[in-house]
Amino acid sequence: MSAVTTEALTRRFGDETAVDGLDLDVAEGEVFGFLGPNGAGKSTTISMLLGFIEPSDGSAAVLGTDVTEDPRAVRERVGLLPEGFDAVPNLSAREHVQTAIETKGADDDPDAVIERVGLDPDDARRPADEYSTGMFQRMALAVALVGEPELLVLDEPSAGLDPNGVRLVREIVEEERERGATVFFSSHILDEVERVSDRVGILQDGELTAVNSVENLRSELGMGAVVRATVEEVPGDVAADGTLAAVEGVTDVTVEESTISVACASPRAKMPALRAIDRATTVEDVTIEETSLEDLFEAYTGGQGGPTSESRPGAGGDTVGGEAGSAGQEVATDGGVRR
Amino acid sequence: MSVDTVARSDFKSVRRSSVVVGVLVAFVGMVALMFMGSSSAHPEPVRTTWGLSALVVWVFPLLIAPLTYLAIAGDRERGSIKYHLGLPNSRGEYFLAKYVSRAGVATAAMALGVGTALVVATATYDSAPDIGRFLVFGTISVLFALAMAGVFVAVSAAVTTRSRAMFGVFGAYFLLSAFWVGFLPVLNLGTVLDAVGSIPGVTVSDSARAVIAALSPAGAYFNLLPELVWSDVLTDYDTFATFTDRPDYLGYEAWFNLLVLGVWAVGAPLLGYLRFRSAELG
Repeated sequence: MSAVTTEALTRRFGDETAVDGLDLDVAEGEVFGFLGPNGAGKSTTISMLLGFIEPSDGSAAVLGTDVTEDPRAVRERVGLLPEGFDAVPNLSAREHVQTAIETKGADDDPDAVIERVGLDPDDARRPADEYSTGMFQRMALAVALVGEPELLVLDEPSAGLDPNGVRLVREIVEEERERGATVFFSSHILDEVERVSDRVGILQDGELTAVNSVENLRSELGMGAVVRATVEEVPGDVAADGTLAAVEGVTDVTVEESTISVACASPRAKMPALRAIDRATTVEDVTIEETSLEDLFEAYTGGQGGPTSESRPGAGGDTVGGEAGSAGQEVATDGGVRR
Repeated sequence: MSVDTVARSDFKSVRRSSVVVGVLVAFVGMVALMFMGSSSAHPEPVRTTWGLSALVVWVFPLLIAPLTYLAIAGDRERGSIKYHLGLPNSRGEYFLAKYVSRAGVATAAMALGVGTALVVATATYDSAPDIGRFLVFGTISVLFALAMAGVFVAVSAAVTTRSRAMFGVFGAYFLLSAFWVGFLPVLNLGTVLDAVGSIPGVTVSDSARAVIAALSPAGAYFNLLPELVWSDVLTDYDTFATFTDRPDYLGYEAWFNLLVLGVWAVGAPLLGYLRFRSAELG
């Protein structure tokens, strides 16, 4: 049985189509990354899966139950971490968790759940309105984990978390997968999704542009990462005689002035490529440019109507403006113009 | 049961806010002052229930408005509704829990207020208060509180933002209390009925006016008091004299006015729920 299936799921708000003919099939026990820039329709899709809003067209079933017919039955088996919500005023994290336990008729120990998400026991007894984003997000994760749900729906679970928190989310997703749960993981950060997901669906402007493993998506497009090395002297044969091109996973080599750009289809190709350059000449500086979500989107959608700078992923902080022609001289940090 | 769980967590949330304390202190304080201040002017506490009834109709709804208008609209704006409805609660259970919790606070405030009146009256008046009379007064007042809380929670369920909820709640208060009972000169139900009656061919009989005037919670509440609380003292005070020898109109019947309050207390939340049931919570 599938954990989540949607058929031509569509949601319109007036003239705006937020989700357009979505066909999804998430298998039981799978970690499915639901990837897309802010405003792509991810949360709208999740809202439909939970029965918060009705589809304009099409249908959705969660764990075999039609969500429009019995959303409550669906929620009995789902653990939800919604995006962008506030705490119930004056209630502590522990009380949020305790209420979830009672509502689900679960037998979890609230303190154990709170410990699992790394929330300080003293903090957990303070009103959650006072929490930092990171603490709040940990509480929200704890609520989602209550009652060993068959399906975890995590909408941007790492938002506002520090690196430790991000790692914790990853570990918990792994643990939940081990337990046999399905995880539906929505994010706008490619790096976050690719580390945990079995498969990834890319949503842009309400449409699913691709579903595949991240690795396949990247290698299909030959755009894993670009290693740029500024060298003392460009060896004449660097691209020509195949020293670099022979490295497994390297798909393209370009030279501009003193910068050699090597496109690598897989993460594992980067070091061998760099070593090959290092053997041939002296490397003065290196930058590594991971394929950004935008690049993937552009590759899939022909580069039109690409996401704006607000939706740039924060992954690694090495996202480059994407202007291949002028690359090599200056790396813009956030797509912005620096003078 | 999940209504119980949501209601308890909502009650906890409300109880810990300073608004509740403020509302209780304000209402109880006003009632106590009113009874203490009048003990020298009137020998019998029943006369002061006249003033108390005005406090109940004109001030009490304004005090419970901040406790109720965000019951559901606040959750929607904050997004915490996704916390409640992400758990296995149906919308009906969630709504009922909210109404139970907020109406419970309103009931407690009213009971505390009338209880305070009774205690102060016992302590300060020459003649002892009639406990039975205060019980009936308290019961009718609680019914009124439930009706107004029901209207306010219904408004909260029917709108999407806190500003709309605020306008809606104050609009409902103005329409159902100030306008309906005729607190304001000119801008009231009476002048509207006069205007309707002046259309050629349309007559609004006095008995019809009485029925229409009884259709709001405040109208029904004010109609019930002379029938059930003050019936044996109508001739003792000039204030109550206006209620003597009222015609046998349906609009003045106790059962009819009780029915009106009951219909508001149940019907308003029901309408609010029907609106909320298909609301977009995305």
